[in-house]
Amino acid sequence: MFFEFLFLVSIVAGFIGVMSGMGGGVILIPVLTFFGMEIKHAIAISIVSVIATSSGSASAYVRDHITNLKVGMFLEMFTIVGALVGAAITLISGRRFLFILFGIVLLSSWIALFRQRSEGWHQTTHQDLFSRWLQLQGKYYDQSIRQTIEYRGIRAYLGGPSMFVAGMIAGLLGIGAGALKVLIHDLVMGLPPKVSTTTSNLIIGVTALAGTSVYLAAGMIDPGLAAPVILGVVLGATIGTHLLVRMTNQTVRRFFLMVLLILGVEMILRGIVSS
Amino acid sequence: MGYPMQGSTNHPQKEESVGHFDMEVLVGYILLAGVLISVASLAIGLIWHWARWGNLRFEYSIVGMNFFEFLLTILGQMASAVMRPRFFLNMGIGILMLTPFVRVLASVFYFAFVERNWRYTLFTGFVLTVLTYSLFLR
Repeated sequence: MFFEFLFLVSIVAGFIGVMSGMGGGVILIPVLTFFGMEIKHAIAISIVSVIATSSGSASAYVRDHITNLKVGMFLEMFTIVGALVGAAITLISGRRFLFILFGIVLLSSWIALFRQRSEGWHQTTHQDLFSRWLQLQGKYYDQSIRQTIEYRGIRAYLGGPSMFVAGMIAGLLGIGAGALKVLIHDLVMGLPPKVSTTTSNLIIGVTALAGTSVYLAAGMIDPGLAAPVILGVVLGATIGTHLLVRMTNQTVRRFFLMVLLILGVEMILRGIVSS
Repeated sequence: MGYPMQGSTNHPQKEESVGHFDMEVLVGYILLAGVLISVASLAIGLIWHWARWGNLRFEYSIVGMNFFEFLLTILGQMASAVMRPRFFLNMGIGILMLTPFVRVLASVFYFAFVERNWRYTLFTGFVLTVLTYSLFLR
């Protein structure tokens, strides 16, 4: 029964991940550990499924010419090294540390998501020398307002190191850490919301691969367990995306965000009581 | 994959790249193909196993192997009929892991030979080197 159950739980995780904008791993890990899976194994399995969901969504965005490949490639240099370091830390960490850190990261991503994003983006007129050297500018066609939007990425010298931390958290906890990456793109690098979301999606796939390779080498990826999880998460995310296109209602998103708030608090509490 | 928020239609800025090699479209299709083949392979493996044994119980782990040894194991399993469901599962995971890797590999070639941008050739080269190194970990 366990494997069928794993499949169903993963569908739900993928679905809520899309509906809340948080990603599947953030729901998958608390649920898998709740049903008795060792947290390190849940992290290892989750990070493989992150490759699938992020590559799936990135494929559509990249073809729409919204993703900025240069911003992505530059920042990937930092996230993959971060992910390797993060995954190595997980292998030597205790359960309590992982549970509490997971809860803290979940709650802070929660705050990041609750913030209103789409408003408040302004075109930056001044680009610092380093970001200009990196050619971090671009444009995309926005279908909703039928306009080509030009933008310049800024503060790459801060964005890079911040993305190292984001990559480390992704590798450590087996999640995409998309909320954190988007926050860095928005606030530090001044990218327009659509560009930050889609570019972060592209980065997540490569970052998750770096983390996965560490867990694979440690013998923690069990294909028999990973397969139903990957299939379930992808299926749930696909259903979620199709539903989401038809909905503009914020209350639905708020509802799913409430679920995540509970999960975050629950993870911290379990970390505190666990030995 | 069913993730698009909007359809892939022709956008104005595409016209500029007429006659050029469209890297974004290639990257998009690499990712899409990788995920689709991987998911199909995993589904075949699970369904095959379920049809034969009536459950999804599939316990085995890959211990002490780096990714490239894992790929060799997959090729070995292809030959044996008994291992076939397991072969499909392993292949699904192998292809999934290769997907971002191939994407980065294609980017290196693009920046080196199409755009001739040495800066980004270097950056993507670094990403490729770190990924290759990490896949050799054991």
